[in-house]
Amino acid sequence: MKRLLGVALGILTAIGGFVDIGDLVTNAVVGSRFGLSLVWVVAVGVVGICLFANMSGRVAAASGRATFEVIRERLGARAGLANLAASFLINLMTVTAEIGGVALALQLASSVYYLLWIPVAALAVWLVVWRVRFTIMENVTGLLGLTLIIFAVALFLLKPDWGMLAGQLAPAVPEQETVWTYSYYAIALFGAAMTPYEVFFFSSGAVEEGWTVKDLLQERINVLVGFPLGGLLSVAIAACAAVVLLPAGISVTSLSQVVLPVAEGAGKIGLALVLVGIVAATFGAALETTLSSGYTLAQFFGWSWGKFRRPAEAARFHLAMIVCLLVGIAVLATGVDPVLVTEYSVVFSAIALPLTYLPILIVANDPQYMREHVNGRVVNVLGMVYLVIILVASIAAIPLMIVTGAGS
Amino acid sequence: MVLTTPGPGPAGRSTRTGRKHLGGLVLAALALLTGCSGGTSQSVSTALEDSSSAVATARIALRQDMDGKLTRAAASTTLDDELKEIQTSRSTVLKLSPATQEERETQKQALDVLDQCAAGFATARAALAANDGGAPSVSDGDKALAGAQDALKQLEGKVVSP
Repeated sequence: MKRLLGVALGILTAIGGFVDIGDLVTNAVVGSRFGLSLVWVVAVGVVGICLFANMSGRVAAASGRATFEVIRERLGARAGLANLAASFLINLMTVTAEIGGVALALQLASSVYYLLWIPVAALAVWLVVWRVRFTIMENVTGLLGLTLIIFAVALFLLKPDWGMLAGQLAPAVPEQETVWTYSYYAIALFGAAMTPYEVFFFSSGAVEEGWTVKDLLQERINVLVGFPLGGLLSVAIAACAAVVLLPAGISVTSLSQVVLPVAEGAGKIGLALVLVGIVAATFGAALETTLSSGYTLAQFFGWSWGKFRRPAEAARFHLAMIVCLLVGIAVLATGVDPVLVTEYSVVFSAIALPLTYLPILIVANDPQYMREHVNGRVVNVLGMVYLVIILVASIAAIPLMIVTGAGS
Repeated sequence: MVLTTPGPGPAGRSTRTGRKHLGGLVLAALALLTGCSGGTSQSVSTALEDSSSAVATARIALRQDMDGKLTRAAASTTLDDELKEIQTSRSTVLKLSPATQEERETQKQALDVLDQCAAGFATARAALAANDGGAPSVSDGDKALAGAQDALKQLEGKVVSP
Protein backbone atom coordinates (compact mmCIF):
# COMPACT_ATOMS: atom_id res chain seq x y z
CA MET A 1 0.00 0.00 0.00
CA LYS A 2 2.82 2.35 0.96
CA ARG A 3 4.58 1.55 -2.30
CA LEU A 4 1.39 2.20 -4.25
CA LEU A 5 0.99 5.57 -2.57
CA GLY A 6 4.61 6.34 -3.39
CA VAL A 7 3.99 5.56 -7.06
CA ALA A 8 0.82 7.69 -7.11
CA LEU A 9 2.61 10.59 -5.44
CA GLY A 10 5.50 10.26 -7.89
CA ILE A 11 3.14 10.36 -10.86
CA LEU A 12 1.18 13.33 -9.52
CA THR A 13 4.37 15.30 -8.84
CA ALA A 14 5.68 14.45 -12.30
CA ILE A 15 2.44 15.80 -13.85
CA GLY A 16 2.39 18.93 -11.68
CA GLY A 17 6.10 19.51 -12.14
CA PHE A 18 6.12 19.03 -15.91
CA VAL A 19 4.88 22.50 -16.84
CA ASP A 20 7.16 25.49 -16.30
CA ILE A 21 7.21 29.06 -17.61
CA GLY A 22 8.64 27.86 -20.93
CA ASP A 23 5.77 25.43 -21.47
CA LEU A 24 3.17 27.96 -20.31
CA VAL A 25 4.32 30.79 -22.55
CA THR A 26 5.32 28.79 -25.62
CA ASN A 27 2.13 26.71 -25.68
CA ALA A 28 -0.04 29.80 -25.23
CA VAL A 29 1.83 31.71 -27.96
CA VAL A 30 1.59 28.75 -30.31
CA GLY A 31 -2.10 28.16 -29.53
CA SER A 32 -2.96 31.81 -30.18
CA ARG A 33 -1.12 31.88 -33.50
CA PHE A 34 -1.15 28.35 -34.89
CA GLY A 35 -4.12 26.75 -33.15
CA LEU A 36 -3.42 23.09 -32.48
CA SER A 37 -1.38 22.53 -35.62
CA LEU A 38 1.83 22.13 -33.60
CA VAL A 39 0.51 19.62 -31.06
CA TRP A 40 2.51 16.91 -32.82
CA VAL A 41 5.70 18.68 -31.66
CA VAL A 42 4.56 18.42 -28.02
CA ALA A 43 4.05 14.68 -28.59
CA VAL A 44 7.54 14.32 -30.10
CA GLY A 45 9.04 16.34 -27.23
CA VAL A 46 7.26 14.35 -24.52
CA VAL A 47 8.46 11.03 -25.97
CA GLY A 48 11.97 12.48 -26.11
CA ILE A 49 12.01 13.72 -22.52
CA CYS A 50 10.57 10.39 -21.33
CA LEU A 51 13.32 8.55 -23.19
CA PHE A 52 16.23 10.60 -21.88
CA ALA A 53 14.89 11.26 -18.35
CA ASN A 54 14.39 7.53 -17.95
CA MET A 55 17.91 6.94 -19.25
CA SER A 56 19.51 9.45 -16.89
CA GLY A 57 17.49 8.13 -13.94
CA ARG A 58 18.76 4.65 -14.78
CA VAL A 59 22.35 5.94 -14.92
CA ALA A 60 21.93 7.47 -11.45
CA ALA A 61 20.25 4.39 -9.97
CA ALA A 62 22.73 1.91 -11.50
CA SER A 63 25.91 3.88 -10.80
CA GLY A 64 24.80 5.74 -7.67
CA ARG A 65 26.13 8.91 -9.29
CA ALA A 66 24.54 11.82 -11.12
CA THR A 67 24.70 11.91 -14.91
CA PHE A 68 26.95 14.94 -15.05
CA GLU A 69 29.57 13.36 -12.77
CA VAL A 70 29.68 10.28 -14.95
CA ILE A 71 29.86 12.34 -18.16
CA ARG A 72 32.82 14.30 -16.77
CA GLU A 73 34.63 11.10 -15.81
CA ARG A 74 33.71 9.07 -18.89
CA LEU A 75 34.19 11.72 -21.60
CA GLY A 76 36.97 13.76 -20.03
CA ALA A 77 37.25 17.40 -19.05
CA ARG A 78 37.03 18.89 -22.55
CA ALA A 79 33.77 17.19 -23.59
CA GLY A 80 32.47 17.74 -20.09
CA LEU A 81 33.31 21.44 -20.32
CA ALA A 82 31.32 21.87 -23.56
CA ASN A 83 28.41 20.13 -21.87
CA LEU A 84 28.84 22.27 -18.74
CA ALA A 85 29.05 25.57 -20.63
CA ALA A 86 25.95 24.90 -22.71
CA SER A 87 23.77 23.50 -19.97
CA PHE A 88 24.87 26.01 -17.32
CA LEU A 89 24.16 29.06 -19.49
CA ILE A 90 20.77 27.71 -20.54
CA ASN A 91 20.09 26.93 -16.88
CA LEU A 92 20.95 30.47 -15.90
CA MET A 93 18.56 31.85 -18.52
CA THR A 94 15.87 29.48 -17.31
CA VAL A 95 16.40 30.45 -13.64
CA THR A 96 15.93 34.07 -14.72
CA ALA A 97 12.80 33.26 -16.70
CA GLU A 98 11.27 31.20 -13.88
CA ILE A 99 11.84 33.87 -11.22
CA GLY A 100 10.36 36.40 -13.62
CA GLY A 101 7.41 34.05 -14.11
CA VAL A 102 6.79 33.84 -10.35
CA ALA A 103 6.89 37.65 -10.16
CA LEU A 104 4.51 38.10 -13.11
CA ALA A 105 2.02 35.63 -11.61
CA LEU A 106 2.19 37.44 -8.27
CA GLN A 107 1.57 40.75 -10.05
CA LEU A 108 -1.55 39.24 -11.63
CA ALA A 109 -2.74 38.16 -8.19
CA SER A 110 -1.92 41.42 -6.42
CA SER A 111 -1.42 44.15 -9.08
CA VAL A 112 1.84 45.04 -7.30
CA TYR A 113 4.45 45.66 -10.00
CA TYR A 114 6.38 42.51 -10.90
CA LEU A 115 9.82 44.06 -10.39
CA LEU A 116 8.99 44.43 -6.68
CA TRP A 117 8.23 40.71 -6.46
CA ILE A 118 11.51 39.58 -8.00
CA PRO A 119 13.73 39.87 -4.88
CA VAL A 120 10.95 38.30 -2.82
CA ALA A 121 10.70 35.35 -5.22
CA ALA A 122 14.48 34.88 -5.35
CA LEU A 123 14.77 35.05 -1.55
CA ALA A 124 12.01 32.46 -1.21
CA VAL A 125 13.82 30.18 -3.67
CA TRP A 126 17.05 30.48 -1.71
CA LEU A 127 15.32 29.82 1.63
CA VAL A 128 13.62 26.69 0.31
CA VAL A 129 16.83 25.41 -1.28
CA TRP A 130 18.66 26.07 1.97
CA ARG A 131 16.13 24.84 4.54
CA VAL A 132 13.48 22.53 3.07
CA ARG A 133 13.99 18.81 2.57
CA PHE A 134 14.30 17.64 -1.03
CA THR A 135 11.23 15.37 -1.07
CA ILE A 136 9.01 17.95 0.64
CA MET A 137 10.15 20.64 -1.77
CA GLU A 138 9.49 18.43 -4.79
CA ASN A 139 6.15 17.06 -3.62
CA VAL A 140 4.63 20.34 -2.44
CA THR A 141 5.42 22.29 -5.61
CA GLY A 142 4.49 19.33 -7.82
CA LEU A 143 1.13 18.78 -6.09
CA LEU A 144 0.25 22.49 -6.08
CA GLY A 145 1.25 22.62 -9.76
CA LEU A 146 -1.52 20.10 -10.37
CA THR A 147 -4.01 22.97 -10.10
CA LEU A 148 -2.95 23.79 -13.66
CA ILE A 149 -5.40 21.03 -14.61
CA ILE A 150 -7.82 23.97 -14.55
CA PHE A 151 -6.67 24.64 -18.13
CA ALA A 152 -8.20 21.30 -19.16
CA VAL A 153 -11.33 21.96 -17.07
CA ALA A 154 -11.69 25.46 -18.54
CA LEU A 155 -11.39 24.01 -22.03
CA PHE A 156 -14.46 21.84 -21.39
CA LEU A 157 -16.32 24.73 -19.75
CA LEU A 158 -15.66 26.89 -22.81
CA LYS A 159 -17.71 24.37 -24.82
CA PRO A 160 -15.58 24.61 -27.97
CA ASP A 161 -16.49 23.13 -31.31
CA TRP A 162 -14.59 19.88 -30.76
CA GLY A 163 -14.78 18.94 -34.43
CA MET A 164 -13.11 22.21 -35.42
CA LEU A 165 -10.45 21.77 -32.73
CA ALA A 166 -9.76 18.23 -33.90
CA GLY A 167 -9.48 19.57 -37.43
CA GLN A 168 -6.61 21.83 -36.30
CA LEU A 169 -4.56 18.84 -35.14
CA ALA A 170 -3.22 18.14 -38.63
CA PRO A 171 0.19 19.74 -39.13
CA ALA A 172 -0.43 22.75 -41.37
CA VAL A 173 0.82 26.32 -41.66
CA PRO A 174 -2.04 28.80 -41.01
CA GLU A 175 -2.76 31.28 -43.81
CA GLN A 176 -1.46 34.34 -41.93
CA GLU A 177 1.82 32.64 -40.93
CA THR A 178 4.86 31.50 -42.92
CA VAL A 179 6.54 28.12 -43.01
CA TRP A 180 9.54 29.77 -41.31
CA THR A 181 7.62 31.03 -38.27
CA TYR A 182 5.85 27.66 -38.08
CA SER A 183 9.23 25.87 -38.03
CA TYR A 184 10.67 28.37 -35.54
CA TYR A 185 7.85 27.76 -33.06
CA ALA A 186 8.08 24.01 -33.65
CA ILE A 187 11.68 24.21 -32.44
CA ALA A 188 10.71 26.44 -29.51
CA LEU A 189 8.03 23.96 -28.41
CA PHE A 190 10.47 21.07 -28.77
CA GLY A 191 13.06 22.98 -26.69
CA ALA A 192 10.43 23.77 -24.05
CA ALA A 193 9.48 20.10 -23.72
CA MET A 194 13.07 18.83 -23.65
CA THR A 195 14.74 21.52 -21.51
CA PRO A 196 18.12 20.12 -20.40
CA TYR A 197 17.72 21.06 -16.73
CA GLU A 198 14.91 18.53 -16.39
CA VAL A 199 17.32 15.69 -17.08
CA PHE A 200 20.09 16.98 -14.83
CA PHE A 201 17.64 17.65 -12.03
CA PHE A 202 16.06 14.25 -12.48
CA SER A 203 19.35 12.36 -12.23
CA SER A 204 20.76 14.49 -9.41
CA GLY A 205 17.42 14.16 -7.60
CA ALA A 206 17.74 10.40 -7.89
CA VAL A 207 21.05 10.62 -6.03
CA GLU A 208 19.55 13.04 -3.47
CA GLU A 209 16.77 10.54 -2.77
CA GLY A 210 19.17 7.59 -2.73
CA TRP A 211 17.63 5.60 -5.57
CA THR A 212 18.96 2.14 -6.28
CA VAL A 213 18.17 -0.32 -9.05
CA LYS A 214 15.23 -1.47 -6.91
CA ASP A 215 13.59 1.90 -7.53
CA LEU A 216 13.91 1.66 -11.31
CA LEU A 217 10.36 0.40 -11.81
CA GLN A 218 8.87 3.28 -9.84
CA GLU A 219 11.11 5.75 -11.66
CA ARG A 220 9.96 4.32 -15.00
CA ILE A 221 6.29 4.55 -14.04
CA ASN A 222 6.73 8.15 -12.83
CA VAL A 223 8.32 9.15 -16.12
CA LEU A 224 6.21 7.13 -18.53
CA VAL A 225 2.88 8.04 -16.93
CA GLY A 226 3.56 11.44 -15.31
CA PHE A 227 5.35 13.17 -18.17
CA PRO A 228 2.80 12.30 -20.91
CA LEU A 229 -0.02 13.47 -18.63
CA GLY A 230 1.99 16.66 -18.05
CA GLY A 231 2.24 16.92 -21.84
CA LEU A 232 -1.56 16.83 -22.01
CA LEU A 233 -1.59 19.86 -19.72
CA SER A 234 0.62 21.65 -22.25
CA VAL A 235 -1.85 20.78 -25.00
CA ALA A 236 -4.73 22.09 -22.85
CA ILE A 237 -2.91 25.44 -22.49
CA ALA A 238 -2.51 25.67 -26.28
CA ALA A 239 -6.13 24.60 -26.83
CA CYS A 240 -7.47 27.26 -24.44
CA ALA A 241 -5.52 29.91 -26.34
CA ALA A 242 -6.73 28.48 -29.66
CA VAL A 243 -10.37 28.67 -28.54
CA VAL A 244 -10.42 32.14 -26.94
CA LEU A 245 -7.47 34.17 -28.23
CA LEU A 246 -6.95 32.98 -31.82
CA PRO A 247 -10.48 33.92 -33.03
CA ALA A 248 -10.09 37.38 -31.43
CA GLY A 249 -6.84 37.98 -33.35
CA ILE A 250 -4.77 38.05 -30.15
CA SER A 251 -1.10 37.01 -30.22
CA VAL A 252 0.17 36.17 -26.74
CA THR A 253 2.95 38.48 -25.54
CA SER A 254 2.28 38.52 -21.79
CA LEU A 255 1.35 36.17 -18.97
CA SER A 256 -1.86 38.13 -18.34
CA GLN A 257 -3.13 36.95 -21.73
CA VAL A 258 -2.37 33.31 -20.88
CA VAL A 259 -4.88 33.27 -17.99
CA LEU A 260 -7.76 35.01 -19.81
CA PRO A 261 -9.15 31.80 -21.40
CA VAL A 262 -9.29 30.17 -17.94
CA ALA A 263 -11.18 33.15 -16.50
CA GLU A 264 -13.50 33.03 -19.52
CA GLY A 265 -14.36 29.39 -18.90
CA ALA A 266 -14.08 29.00 -15.14
CA GLY A 267 -14.45 32.53 -13.74
CA LYS A 268 -12.72 33.83 -10.62
CA ILE A 269 -12.33 30.37 -9.04
CA GLY A 270 -10.60 29.21 -12.18
CA LEU A 271 -8.44 32.34 -12.12
CA ALA A 272 -7.44 31.70 -8.50
CA LEU A 273 -6.54 28.09 -9.27
CA VAL A 274 -4.56 28.96 -12.38
CA LEU A 275 -2.59 31.62 -10.48
CA VAL A 276 -1.78 29.12 -7.70
CA GLY A 277 -0.74 26.65 -10.39
CA ILE A 278 1.45 29.14 -12.24
CA VAL A 279 3.17 30.30 -9.04
CA ALA A 280 3.73 26.67 -7.97
CA ALA A 281 4.94 25.59 -11.42
CA THR A 282 7.32 28.51 -11.91
CA PHE A 283 8.50 28.47 -8.30
CA GLY A 284 9.07 24.70 -8.49
CA ALA A 285 10.97 25.14 -11.74
CA ALA A 286 12.97 28.02 -10.21
CA LEU A 287 14.01 25.65 -7.42
CA GLU A 288 14.91 22.93 -9.91
CA THR A 289 16.91 25.21 -12.19
CA THR A 290 18.71 26.84 -9.27
CA LEU A 291 19.63 23.43 -7.92
CA SER A 292 20.57 22.24 -11.41
CA SER A 293 22.97 25.18 -11.74
CA GLY A 294 24.63 24.11 -8.50
CA TYR A 295 24.59 20.45 -9.52
CA THR A 296 26.23 20.99 -12.92
CA LEU A 297 29.02 23.18 -11.54
CA ALA A 298 29.68 21.05 -8.45
CA GLN A 299 29.59 17.78 -10.35
CA PHE A 300 31.98 19.09 -13.01
CA PHE A 301 34.50 20.55 -10.57
CA GLY A 302 34.18 17.69 -8.10
CA TRP A 303 32.82 19.81 -5.23
CA SER A 304 30.79 18.35 -2.44
CA TRP A 305 27.12 18.75 -3.44
CA GLY A 306 23.57 17.86 -2.54
CA LYS A 307 20.72 18.98 -0.35
CA PHE A 308 21.19 15.81 1.68
CA ARG A 309 24.39 17.43 2.99
CA ARG A 310 24.33 20.34 5.41
CA PRO A 311 25.09 23.67 3.64
CA ALA A 312 28.37 23.98 5.54
CA GLU A 313 29.47 20.63 4.08
CA ALA A 314 28.67 21.76 0.51
CA ALA A 315 29.53 25.45 0.77
CA ARG A 316 30.65 25.99 -2.84
CA PHE A 317 27.54 24.23 -4.14
CA HIS A 318 25.32 26.58 -2.12
CA LEU A 319 27.41 29.63 -2.98
CA ALA A 320 27.12 28.84 -6.70
CA MET A 321 23.34 28.77 -6.38
CA ILE A 322 23.27 32.09 -4.53
CA VAL A 323 25.39 33.67 -7.27
CA CYS A 324 23.04 32.29 -9.94
CA LEU A 325 20.04 33.78 -8.15
CA LEU A 326 21.80 37.14 -7.87
CA VAL A 327 22.62 37.08 -11.58
CA GLY A 328 18.96 36.29 -12.32
CA ILE A 329 17.82 39.23 -10.18
CA ALA A 330 20.35 41.53 -11.84
CA VAL A 331 19.19 40.57 -15.34
CA LEU A 332 15.52 41.06 -14.46
CA ALA A 333 16.25 44.35 -12.71
CA THR A 334 17.27 45.80 -16.09
CA GLY A 335 13.59 45.68 -17.03
CA VAL A 336 14.02 42.94 -19.62
CA ASP A 337 10.73 41.18 -20.27
CA PRO A 338 10.62 37.79 -18.48
CA VAL A 339 8.37 36.47 -21.25
CA LEU A 340 11.00 37.43 -23.80
CA VAL A 341 13.72 35.74 -21.71
CA THR A 342 11.51 32.65 -21.62
CA GLU A 343 11.02 32.61 -25.37
CA TYR A 344 14.76 32.89 -25.99
CA SER A 345 15.60 30.33 -23.30
CA VAL A 346 13.49 27.61 -24.92
CA VAL A 347 15.06 28.24 -28.33
CA PHE A 348 18.58 28.27 -26.88
CA SER A 349 17.68 25.06 -25.05
CA ALA A 350 16.96 23.51 -28.42
CA ILE A 351 20.35 24.73 -29.69
CA ALA A 352 22.17 23.10 -26.74
CA LEU A 353 20.26 19.82 -26.80
CA PRO A 354 22.91 17.69 -28.59
CA LEU A 355 25.54 18.66 -26.00
CA THR A 356 23.23 17.42 -23.26
CA TYR A 357 21.71 14.30 -24.72
CA LEU A 358 24.57 12.75 -26.71
CA PRO A 359 26.74 12.23 -23.59
CA ILE A 360 23.80 10.68 -21.74
CA LEU A 361 23.29 8.21 -24.58
CA ILE A 362 27.01 7.32 -24.51
CA VAL A 363 27.11 6.84 -20.74
CA ALA A 364 23.89 4.80 -20.72
CA ASN A 365 25.61 2.34 -23.07
CA ASP A 366 28.75 1.94 -20.94
CA PRO A 367 28.70 -1.41 -19.10
CA GLN A 368 31.46 -0.18 -16.79
CA TYR A 369 28.93 2.13 -15.10
CA MET A 370 25.65 0.49 -16.03
CA ARG A 371 26.51 -3.22 -15.76
CA GLU A 372 23.39 -5.17 -16.91
CA HIS A 373 21.36 -1.95 -17.01
CA VAL A 374 22.82 -0.63 -20.28
CA ASN A 375 20.36 0.56 -22.94
CA GLY A 376 18.48 -2.11 -24.83
CA ARG A 377 18.34 -2.16 -28.62
CA VAL A 378 14.93 -0.47 -28.89
CA VAL A 379 15.99 2.36 -26.57
CA ASN A 380 19.19 2.84 -28.56
CA VAL A 381 17.34 2.98 -31.88
CA LEU A 382 14.92 5.53 -30.42
CA GLY A 383 17.85 7.42 -28.91
CA MET A 384 19.57 7.62 -32.30
CA VAL A 385 16.38 8.79 -33.99
CA TYR A 386 16.06 11.51 -31.36
CA LEU A 387 19.68 12.52 -31.75
CA VAL A 388 19.00 13.19 -35.43
CA ILE A 389 15.87 15.24 -34.55
CA ILE A 390 17.79 17.12 -31.87
CA LEU A 391 20.65 17.83 -34.24
CA VAL A 392 18.31 19.14 -36.96
CA ALA A 393 16.49 21.36 -34.42
CA SER A 394 19.79 22.62 -33.04
CA ILE A 395 21.25 23.51 -36.44
CA ALA A 396 18.04 25.13 -37.73
CA ALA A 397 17.28 27.20 -34.63
CA ILE A 398 19.58 30.20 -35.16
CA PRO A 399 18.96 30.63 -38.92
CA LEU A 400 15.22 30.46 -38.26
CA MET A 401 15.55 32.95 -35.42
CA ILE A 402 17.23 35.41 -37.82
CA VAL A 403 14.91 34.81 -40.76
CA THR A 404 11.74 35.22 -38.67
CA GLY A 405 13.02 38.02 -36.41
CA ALA A 406 12.62 35.61 -33.48
CA GLY A 407 9.17 34.55 -34.54
CA SER A 408 7.62 38.00 -34.99
CA MET B 1 -4.18 48.53 -4.66
CA VAL B 2 -2.51 49.48 -7.89
CA LEU B 3 1.11 50.37 -7.49
CA THR B 4 1.83 49.94 -11.13
CA THR B 5 1.94 53.01 -13.26
CA PRO B 6 3.29 52.06 -16.63
CA GLY B 7 5.18 54.95 -18.07
CA PRO B 8 6.71 55.21 -21.45
CA GLY B 9 9.86 53.81 -19.80
CA PRO B 10 11.71 50.64 -20.52
CA ALA B 11 8.70 48.91 -22.06
CA GLY B 12 10.69 45.79 -21.47
CA ARG B 13 7.45 43.88 -21.01
CA SER B 14 6.74 43.95 -24.70
CA THR B 15 7.83 40.64 -26.15
CA ARG B 16 7.41 41.80 -29.68
CA THR B 17 9.62 44.79 -28.99
CA GLY B 18 12.58 42.54 -28.40
CA ARG B 19 11.72 40.55 -31.47
CA LYS B 20 11.38 43.74 -33.45
CA HIS B 21 14.88 44.80 -32.41
CA LEU B 22 16.28 41.55 -33.77
CA GLY B 23 13.97 41.63 -36.77
CA GLY B 24 14.89 45.26 -37.32
CA LEU B 25 18.58 44.42 -37.30
CA VAL B 26 18.04 41.69 -39.87
CA LEU B 27 15.91 43.96 -42.05
CA ALA B 28 18.44 46.77 -41.73
CA ALA B 29 21.22 44.42 -42.79
CA LEU B 30 19.18 43.21 -45.75
CA ALA B 31 18.30 46.79 -46.70
CA LEU B 32 21.97 47.73 -46.56
CA LEU B 33 22.91 44.77 -48.72
CA THR B 34 20.19 45.36 -51.30
CA GLY B 35 20.26 49.13 -51.26
CA CYS B 36 16.56 49.27 -50.41
CA SER B 37 14.95 51.51 -47.82
CA GLY B 38 12.95 50.00 -44.93
CA GLY B 39 9.24 49.68 -45.68
CA THR B 40 7.10 52.16 -43.78
CA SER B 41 3.96 50.21 -44.72
CA GLN B 42 5.41 47.00 -43.33
CA SER B 43 6.34 48.63 -40.01
CA VAL B 44 2.99 50.43 -39.72
CA SER B 45 1.14 47.25 -40.60
CA THR B 46 2.97 45.27 -37.88
CA ALA B 47 2.39 48.05 -35.34
CA LEU B 48 -1.32 48.09 -36.16
CA GLU B 49 -1.56 44.28 -35.87
CA ASP B 50 0.14 44.35 -32.47
CA SER B 51 -2.13 47.16 -31.34
CA SER B 52 -5.23 45.31 -32.54
CA SER B 53 -4.14 42.32 -30.47
CA ALA B 54 -3.60 44.58 -27.44
CA VAL B 55 -6.99 46.30 -27.76
CA ALA B 56 -8.78 42.97 -28.28
CA THR B 57 -7.09 41.60 -25.14
CA ALA B 58 -8.09 44.65 -23.11
CA ARG B 59 -11.70 44.36 -24.28
CA ILE B 60 -11.85 40.70 -23.22
CA ALA B 61 -10.42 41.65 -19.81
CA LEU B 62 -12.99 44.44 -19.39
CA ARG B 63 -15.87 42.19 -20.43
CA GLN B 64 -14.70 39.51 -17.99
CA ASP B 65 -14.47 42.19 -15.28
CA MET B 66 -18.04 43.30 -16.01
CA ASP B 67 -19.20 39.65 -15.95
CA GLY B 68 -17.48 39.12 -12.58
CA LYS B 69 -15.06 36.57 -14.06
CA LEU B 70 -11.84 38.50 -13.52
CA THR B 71 -10.42 40.15 -10.41
CA ARG B 72 -9.56 43.85 -10.46
CA ALA B 73 -5.89 43.01 -9.95
CA ALA B 74 -5.79 40.74 -13.00
CA ALA B 75 -7.85 43.16 -15.10
CA SER B 76 -5.67 46.17 -14.27
CA THR B 77 -2.47 44.16 -14.85
CA THR B 78 -3.80 43.07 -18.24
CA LEU B 79 -4.61 46.66 -19.17
CA ASP B 80 -1.16 47.82 -18.06
CA ASP B 81 0.52 45.10 -20.15
CA GLU B 82 -1.49 45.94 -23.23
CA LEU B 83 -1.02 49.69 -22.85
CA LYS B 84 2.72 49.02 -23.02
CA GLU B 85 2.15 47.24 -26.33
CA ILE B 86 0.36 50.33 -27.66
CA GLN B 87 3.16 52.58 -26.42
CA THR B 88 5.74 50.36 -28.11
CA SER B 89 3.80 50.39 -31.39
CA ARG B 90 3.42 54.17 -31.21
CA SER B 91 7.12 54.60 -30.55
CA THR B 92 7.96 52.37 -33.52
CA VAL B 93 5.70 54.34 -35.88
CA LEU B 94 6.96 57.66 -34.54
CA LYS B 95 10.57 56.72 -35.28
CA LEU B 96 9.90 55.84 -38.92
CA SER B 97 11.38 58.03 -41.64
CA PRO B 98 8.81 58.03 -44.44
CA ALA B 99 10.24 58.75 -47.86
CA THR B 100 7.12 59.73 -49.78
CA GLN B 101 4.04 61.89 -49.20
CA GLU B 102 1.89 58.75 -49.14
CA GLU B 103 4.06 57.19 -46.44
CA ARG B 104 3.97 60.40 -44.41
CA GLU B 105 0.17 60.35 -44.60
CA THR B 106 0.11 56.70 -43.50
CA GLN B 107 2.38 57.46 -40.57
CA LYS B 108 0.18 60.36 -39.46
CA GLN B 109 -3.01 58.30 -39.70
CA ALA B 110 -1.39 55.48 -37.73
CA LEU B 111 -0.26 57.87 -35.00
CA ASP B 112 -3.78 59.34 -34.76
CA VAL B 113 -5.31 55.89 -34.37
CA LEU B 114 -2.71 54.80 -31.84
CA ASP B 115 -3.39 57.98 -29.84
CA GLN B 116 -7.08 57.06 -29.91
CA CYS B 117 -6.13 53.60 -28.56
CA ALA B 118 -4.06 55.15 -25.78
CA ALA B 119 -6.99 57.44 -24.88
CA GLY B 120 -9.27 54.38 -24.79
CA PHE B 121 -6.85 52.66 -22.43
CA ALA B 122 -6.72 55.76 -20.22
CA THR B 123 -10.53 55.70 -19.92
CA ALA B 124 -10.56 51.97 -19.19
CA ARG B 125 -7.81 52.22 -16.56
CA ALA B 126 -9.51 55.18 -14.91
CA ALA B 127 -12.73 53.16 -14.77
CA LEU B 128 -11.01 50.21 -13.11
CA ALA B 129 -9.16 52.46 -10.67
CA ALA B 130 -12.30 54.45 -9.73
CA ASN B 131 -14.11 51.39 -8.39
CA ASP B 132 -16.94 53.54 -6.95
CA GLY B 133 -19.54 53.25 -9.68
CA GLY B 134 -18.86 56.82 -10.84
CA ALA B 135 -17.70 58.03 -14.23
CA PRO B 136 -16.06 56.74 -16.27
CA SER B 137 -17.62 53.29 -15.95
CA VAL B 138 -16.02 50.09 -17.18
CA SER B 139 -18.62 50.12 -19.92
CA ASP B 140 -17.38 53.60 -20.98
CA GLY B 141 -13.87 52.18 -21.14
CA ASP B 142 -15.06 49.32 -23.32
CA LYS B 143 -16.87 51.74 -25.64
CA ALA B 144 -13.74 53.87 -25.99
CA LEU B 145 -11.69 50.79 -26.83
CA ALA B 146 -14.36 49.56 -29.26
CA GLY B 147 -14.06 52.87 -31.12
CA ALA B 148 -10.29 52.50 -31.23
CA GLN B 149 -10.64 48.93 -32.46
CA ASP B 150 -12.87 50.04 -35.35
CA ALA B 151 -10.41 52.77 -36.30
CA LEU B 152 -7.56 50.25 -36.20
CA LYS B 153 -9.44 47.85 -38.46
CA GLN B 154 -10.22 50.58 -41.00
CA LEU B 155 -6.61 51.66 -41.14
CA GLU B 156 -5.36 48.08 -41.31
CA GLY B 157 -7.55 47.63 -44.38
CA LYS B 158 -5.90 50.64 -46.02
CA VAL B 159 -2.31 49.81 -45.10
CA VAL B 160 -1.43 46.65 -46.95
CA SER B 161 2.02 45.39 -46.10
CA PRO B 162 4.11 44.44 -49.14
